Amino acid sequence: MEFKQVVGNRRTIRFFDPNRPVEEEKIQVMLEAANRASRAVNADFAKAIVCYRDELSDEVREQMKTPTATVQIDLAPVTIFWYGDTSFVNGAQGRLKELVDLGALPVTHGWTHAFVDDLVYPQVLEPLSKDQLATVWAVSVETGLAIAQAMLAGIDEGLGVGLHAFNAAGVKDVLKVPDHWVPMWILLVGYPAEDAKGGGQRPRRALSDCFYRGQYGTSWTEIPEVTERLKREGMIQDPMPADATQRMAEIKQLADRFGLPL
Amino acid sequence: MTAGIQSHASVKQWTAGSGLQHDPAEVREDKLRILAAFCAKVDKEPDELVAFCILRKKATGERFLSVKRRETINDWLKEFAAEQGWAGKQAVVNANVVRSFLIHNGVLIQGPVWRG
Repeated sequence: MEFKQVVGNRRTIRFFDPNRPVEEEKIQVMLEAANRASRAVNADFAKAIVCYRDELSDEVREQMKTPTATVQIDLAPVTIFWYGDTSFVNGAQGRLKELVDLGALPVTHGWTHAFVDDLVYPQVLEPLSKDQLATVWAVSVETGLAIAQAMLAGIDEGLGVGLHAFNAAGVKDVLKVPDHWVPMWILLVGYPAEDAKGGGQRPRRALSDCFYRGQYGTSWTEIPEVTERLKREGMIQDPMPADATQRMAEIKQLADRFGLPL
Repeated sequence: MTAGIQSHASVKQWTAGSGLQHDPAEVREDKLRILAAFCAKVDKEPDELVAFCILRKKATGERFLSVKRRETINDWLKEFAAEQGWAGKQAVVNANVVRSFLIHNGVLIQGPVWRG
């Protein structure tokens, strides 16, 4: 699938086909996409535990559930628990110097072993790692980048995905999560039981509402030809119609199928 | 059995929000009967059942939905389904009648899904 189409096709899927298995190969593609994400100091911020619903005992599955996340966990064949690793600073000097040696961090931009050892590590990374707020900020941003790539890779593989909050305390022991991992999101994965396009793209505000040129207050001006091209190429798709009759009928059908409340 | 509970504000809200009044009379009566039987089991009026799920923070008095209370409701529903002799999809669907009532009264609660 073309990149713009992948971006345009992504929806938060809430109704998965519970009985259609998800191929491990496709999960590996998602994990590799996460592994290829941009990351500061070439650190492994993003950590994930992939759980296949039907491989878990009933007891473990029950521990994962909360009154707000039972339906999704029951329906999705795969749940990926995402965490951010706060120990990212460990080994940072060595990784940075490796990048210097490989030319990824070039001397033209001021990078040397001495710069890493004398400035970057002691004056930036070490203090950052001791500042809890800054650490959580860094870990969250970096892990988010990885999750986004995994999601888009899933769409490209023909899967449905959905990110949700979860009861981290409830699953910490079950999943044997190390103390230095910070819980992020769960990514539910499966084949959609609902229309994969979810009846249209979710409402979004205009670029001018969020993006600026030069300074805050000077909104980005859309180039109409580009907007039209993105429509043709699938990044911008028809929004969900204001008349939700068709979507509501689909929800009723899914509720009947899965015995869900209406 | 169901006439009494229809006067509760929470039941009226459920009826209006879920479109229950447009269901065939037999279906509507069935759903109201399930709710009434559950309320009798837990010895709470419908409005009290909604209130049971909402607590106030001691420090600020702010209202919040209690996870533990909703877990209790789910435990009660599991017991209730067993007592009624429901199994399979029927157990899921009928327990979700009570959850639908709570949902339309602002209580986000989820239970098992029928995957058969």
